[in-house]
Amino acid sequence: MTPSESRGIDRREFVKAAVAIGGMSALSACLGRFGDGAESIPTGTDDPTSLPDRQHAWNGALPSDDHGNHVLASHHVLLYADYAGDGTPTADERETVESALQSLERAFEWSNEGLLFTVGYSPRYFDRFDESLPDSVDLPEPAALTSFEDPDLDTNDVVVHLASDSGAALLEAEEALKGHSDTANGVEMDAHLGDVLDLPDEFPGRRTGFVGGGLPAENSDVSGIPDEADVPEESPLYMGFKSGFDKNQATEEDVTISEGPFAGATTQHVSRIRLRLDDWYVEQDQDERVAEMFCPAHADEGTVEGVGENLGDDSGAGDCAETVREDARSAGRVGHAQKTARARRDGRPIILRRDFDSTDKGEAGLHFLAVQEGISDFVATKTSMAGEDLTDTPTIRQRVNNGIQEYTFVKRRGNFLLPPRTHRALPTPRPE
Amino acid sequence: MNRRTFLAAAAGTTSAGLAGCFGLLETRTAGQPPVLSDRPDAVYHPTHVEGMQMEEMGQSGDFAAAVMYSYPHRFWTVSGSAVTKHSIRSDDAAHVMVAVWDPETGVVVPDAGVSIAVTKDEEVVSEEVIYPMLSQPMGFHYGANFALDGTANYTVEVDIGGLSGVETTGSFDGRFTESTSIDLDLSYSEAEKQNISYENTPDRAGDRTAVDAMTMMDMPLGIAPSPDELPGATVGTASAGDAQFVVQAVEADRFGGGTHVAVSPRTPHNGMLIPRLGLEMTVVRDGESLFDGELGAVLDPELGYHYAGGLDALKSGDEIELRVTIPPQVARHEGYETAFLSFEPMTLPVA
Repeated sequence: MTPSESRGIDRREFVKAAVAIGGMSALSACLGRFGDGAESIPTGTDDPTSLPDRQHAWNGALPSDDHGNHVLASHHVLLYADYAGDGTPTADERETVESALQSLERAFEWSNEGLLFTVGYSPRYFDRFDESLPDSVDLPEPAALTSFEDPDLDTNDVVVHLASDSGAALLEAEEALKGHSDTANGVEMDAHLGDVLDLPDEFPGRRTGFVGGGLPAENSDVSGIPDEADVPEESPLYMGFKSGFDKNQATEEDVTISEGPFAGATTQHVSRIRLRLDDWYVEQDQDERVAEMFCPAHADEGTVEGVGENLGDDSGAGDCAETVREDARSAGRVGHAQKTARARRDGRPIILRRDFDSTDKGEAGLHFLAVQEGISDFVATKTSMAGEDLTDTPTIRQRVNNGIQEYTFVKRRGNFLLPPRTHRALPTPRPE
Repeated sequence: MNRRTFLAAAAGTTSAGLAGCFGLLETRTAGQPPVLSDRPDAVYHPTHVEGMQMEEMGQSGDFAAAVMYSYPHRFWTVSGSAVTKHSIRSDDAAHVMVAVWDPETGVVVPDAGVSIAVTKDEEVVSEEVIYPMLSQPMGFHYGANFALDGTANYTVEVDIGGLSGVETTGSFDGRFTESTSIDLDLSYSEAEKQNISYENTPDRAGDRTAVDAMTMMDMPLGIAPSPDELPGATVGTASAGDAQFVVQAVEADRFGGGTHVAVSPRTPHNGMLIPRLGLEMTVVRDGESLFDGELGAVLDPELGYHYAGGLDALKSGDEIELRVTIPPQVARHEGYETAFLSFEPMTLPVA
């Protein structure tokens, strides 16, 4: 292979590695290595009102695939930060945060090619105020959600989620937010988050990941993926299937809080899941994987080809939801998507997944990030997915023959509120 | 609690005899013989017998657990009626086993949902859900083959999800539902492993018998109580699929009014309890059906793990039919993989 032929893959792997490592040196390397103009990042806007009021309104800024599914940006960073001051945030500090965020919006186009981001606040953040959150905001402290998990609970005040197809854009944005750089994408920063927040440099405060065809296969030399595994080149995720089909996602409208001082907000749940795919790839064949990821009927009927590109904009697992108990007896196993599809409102899922894989700590992992109107929507979906109600059938155990729970180990959970853009800077529980 | 204080505290056990778990048989190592080509559809003596190395016991919440290991070995998982052989992989270092029981009564707890995370110097070596399994010497336990990272002191975090799909009665009511985690030490070395007993048994392989239970262990085994140890009146013992089903009529406050018909399936020869099967019962009196339905799984301090349904009373002349609808969903060590898979309906007259 000539250097130019190998360049496409080398470059993607290299960028992912740079994002995972982070910091100015990684950024310099990222820019230096491909500093021939390959990485031209579009700049943003001076007019913040031109941007959607909902921080989670990303779909309009993302490309779609041939089937109309929104394609999430490739690279991600999560920064779990704490308010550095005592007491409650001041007006000056709010100004600093808003100014820093608006600087990013000037520096990067609001898109997958530029930068998409959200800023979220935890229940712990709001505890510092005398007032409590209004009833229109459903934001409990994080908790274990199944009987068989014991996650660490994230209690940082703030989480910043940065996403872009450009690893360099991500790293530039992160360094600029932290105050390590005065400019981002050539645009001057008016302020830095680092002046107000304690921002992390390493796991678990700093988490990274990626999603999209090719990236999992290229990054499969990590703990949790057996050497014998052949993660499909075209798979966007480690487990070998597409996800996030448009019909299997809530709409942005449906996950938006519609009333009260946080109208236009949404809630965000982020869990870190360790993936252990030895048995998934070595002991199971493709039909068994289809049965456990989708439903046994999909395996019997050959519904899923390869990574599931042929499914269009609907996994079809909703049609399997009603037969889950019969499948438990007749097929001896039930599917992940089939169980999850039991949690619907008006025929539509109630969470919007924006999850991505990770090599943090050298382990194959998944940062399961989802937004929903209230955390109880996430809990309802997770409870359906866990299928503990099915374990009265002898074939189904808590984690065996029960979707993909044999291979996924939840290590952390956190809950956050993503206020509307107007209240995104260190809000009080009752912003006006 | 360390192992010594646990042993001192555990009812009905003494602190001697752990050494009995290995060195049982002549020590030697060899490649495992192939699986027999003409296995009976029944319990049979395996081609070889391995001892095991007991490591540590501990206790947390409602559970006690022990970790032990042996040579990696082949086993078979059962999903519905499908049996899947799991061969030894080239990087498998050991078959790691976990036993889980009630520290108060010593009753083995099946279906507790067990996974283990193996770490070495706080680095994760592996984390896997381990399978509920049946072996002839140990009976019910949890296990899987693991690749390890050489000779080292490992920590095995035993994560117990809690009982699922099983009703608890009597003093067990409400217990075993909370998850818990128990850290146990596993000191592994290739050399020490080679000291674990291993015997090829060509003279007995395939015979319709079983390897003796390791009853000299300080660890409780999942042996079902014999009929005369069970409370209530024994209706009889039916047999199908090479399993035995002891049917017991019990009247006790903890089961409410009427008669609690308890069915206790166990293996032949060793009487090991067989969990996680689908079972239906019909009781007919004078041509009329008094009970016709699925039996639920129950864990009771006296009856142990069993399946049960309630009716007003059994009378002489009643006829009980039992039908296994789902074979036991438990992985099998060699010698059990062809048994307990296909069951004819069983009929027992009430005397």
